[in-house]
Amino acid sequence: MLEEEVEEKRVFKIPVGPQHPALKEFENFTFTVDGEKVIDVDFRIGYTHRGIEKLAESKTYIQNLYLCERICGICSAAHQGCYAQTVEELAGITAPPRGVYIRTLIWELERIHSHLLWLGVAAHEIGFDTLFMLIWRDREVVMSLLEMISGNRVNYAMSTVGGVRRDISDELKHKILKGLDVLEERTKYYKEVCMKEQTILARAANVGILSKEKTLKLNAVGPTARASGVDVDIRRDDPYGAYDEVPFEVIVYDTCDVLARILVRVDETIQSILMSRWILENLPSGEIRTKFARKIAENEVLGRVEAPRGELLYYIKSNGTDKPERLKVRTPTLANLLPVAEMLKGGYIADIPIVLAGIDPCFACMDRALFIDENSEKTWVWDKEQLRIYSIKWYKEHGKEVVRERWKQ
Amino acid sequence: METIELLILILKFILFPGALFCIAYGWFLEWFDRKLYARFQNRIGPLLTGPKGVLQPFADFIKLLAKEDITPAGADKFGFTVTPLLTLVVSLFTLLFIPIASLSGILSLSGDLLLVLFISTVFGLLIMFAGYFSGNRFSIVGTERTGLQFVAYEIPFALSVISVALATRSLEIVNIVTYQVNTLKLPLIVIVPVAFIIYLISSLAKLEKIPFDVPEAETEIVAGWQVEYSGKKLAFFRLATDLKMVFVSGLAVALFLGGPYGPSIPGLEPVFYTIWFIIKTLVVMFILSNLRSLFARYRIDQVVRGFWKYLIPFAVLQILAVQLLIFLGVI
Repeated sequence: MLEEEVEEKRVFKIPVGPQHPALKEFENFTFTVDGEKVIDVDFRIGYTHRGIEKLAESKTYIQNLYLCERICGICSAAHQGCYAQTVEELAGITAPPRGVYIRTLIWELERIHSHLLWLGVAAHEIGFDTLFMLIWRDREVVMSLLEMISGNRVNYAMSTVGGVRRDISDELKHKILKGLDVLEERTKYYKEVCMKEQTILARAANVGILSKEKTLKLNAVGPTARASGVDVDIRRDDPYGAYDEVPFEVIVYDTCDVLARILVRVDETIQSILMSRWILENLPSGEIRTKFARKIAENEVLGRVEAPRGELLYYIKSNGTDKPERLKVRTPTLANLLPVAEMLKGGYIADIPIVLAGIDPCFACMDRALFIDENSEKTWVWDKEQLRIYSIKWYKEHGKEVVRERWKQ
Repeated sequence: METIELLILILKFILFPGALFCIAYGWFLEWFDRKLYARFQNRIGPLLTGPKGVLQPFADFIKLLAKEDITPAGADKFGFTVTPLLTLVVSLFTLLFIPIASLSGILSLSGDLLLVLFISTVFGLLIMFAGYFSGNRFSIVGTERTGLQFVAYEIPFALSVISVALATRSLEIVNIVTYQVNTLKLPLIVIVPVAFIIYLISSLAKLEKIPFDVPEAETEIVAGWQVEYSGKKLAFFRLATDLKMVFVSGLAVALFLGGPYGPSIPGLEPVFYTIWFIIKTLVVMFILSNLRSLFARYRIDQVVRGFWKYLIPFAVLQILAVQLLIFLGVI
């Protein structure tokens, strides 16, 4: 009894967020800690709910292009491209090859910029500010490439229904190739740094473990899943855009820790650089877009792409007008939220930022109305309160044994 | 006659090389550190306030003084107010023992090395109190970490100083400096290089700089022990940190780099000694800034383990080596 009371006093709760330096967006995590050890995690989502899905129902298909792009600042091209190709399928048109190639190029350049951004943030989270600054300096190279192509640094507005909006001239092509050379050299250097620097290894290796079974069970996506040995990549498994023609490797690591998540992203960046180069060298000639009739007959389509953070899912239903009847988005961060809670338990407070950052969270693009869980081929809908109740219940059932397992190691 | 001497002594305490000089130099060191750190990261650093931004730390101080000073409801009001003042006073007091303009500090007494070591330990304790009194969850975690880190760095720090005391067979800073100047005619770093390295690493932890900025890790626990401090109190803490930088680099100069001694024109020693002091402390600061831009932050358990596993054995070995050198009659 006395022992329990003492236990009770030692344990206390630390709120991380809605405002916290480790989180660049608003989200609340409550950590139950005992000294430096994390015993339990609870999270509350929905701080940045913007009603985008409802808004989309009152806008035309063309207007929605620019709305969808604004769901996420970092993977804006993935959102817009995914929306555009889903609407294309809805309307039954196909974009010309050159348009598809340019769209794919933008996706890959965006992946480079997103992964480099993440790498910098990860370095910052473990207190390695020098690496953070240098990576972000080199990220400027790919940002200016994207600006040269599209005229914008963040929301590129390149994809449109039926193709892309801007062409790439030969002169621009050479500039991009030059920029890619710089990026390749720097990224290889950073890979070496991440693999050899002792302080990074001390903070990243064997931290935030997510086993392969748990990954499958909790439905992690993207680099987070690939770092836990799960070989999934929509680009290969369900090719879209030009991915059935572009040669690339799917990077899989099986150490299941933060270091694996770092290395997966660094290697994917190198792959993306190679892919971008291949696309530029094999750019087909011809038109960049086809015409598109403004009204779409009744139909429904589920489209998905591999965004930098993982599987991005768009569901669009049309009703014969020029506006969608329903637009539903599921972003990768939502899928990765339950896995990240799993990773955090049993760790140290000091590991919270890097583990949280490990999934490359993007809370603003996650916070819309509902939650669709695609577990074991069943589909059901949850709102965030149910999700919360589920997580609490799950921790009550499994929390203790997971912690015990962790401490045995 | 006596009144004039007293006046000079008071001026020494207040103006040079006492409080005002040390505070100004502390700000200068902060600027130097920030600028270097920024250049290592390919940034510009402080730029606009004064030439090359040299007045930025001073401007920050003034700005903080003007800010609202909040005492949280859950804080221990007395402790919360007293700790920043005490930290500032204590760090100013230790600086009186550091030789700056002559071979001895303003205050010099037998066994003052021990006194300085003891007072520098109080820094850590005061930080723990600062976190504890503010009654914030992040502060409590920061306080715990400060305590743990304190256990880690204080012993190697003391051991490295002890090897110097052994080599010079003195516990008085002025004697250690004069030994290097007159007897050895070389800075002590030649004799005890390992102790110097250990001293630098422990002082990084003492100053809470990367990779040992665990107690105030921004991305983990916001600002750790200082999260509730604002306005004047925060300004005092930051000034105290700058003074600690002067203290740590000044003590390193006195113990390992031959003190403020250097070639000078007879009669103008105070001026030249001050210049040599500044050059030598800048070298120490250069090394410290370099170190802190090279690493990621360690976790608290890794810090404690690292210090006990590697630094303490090496410090003990250094002491044994000094004993051996004394036994062989080399020093």
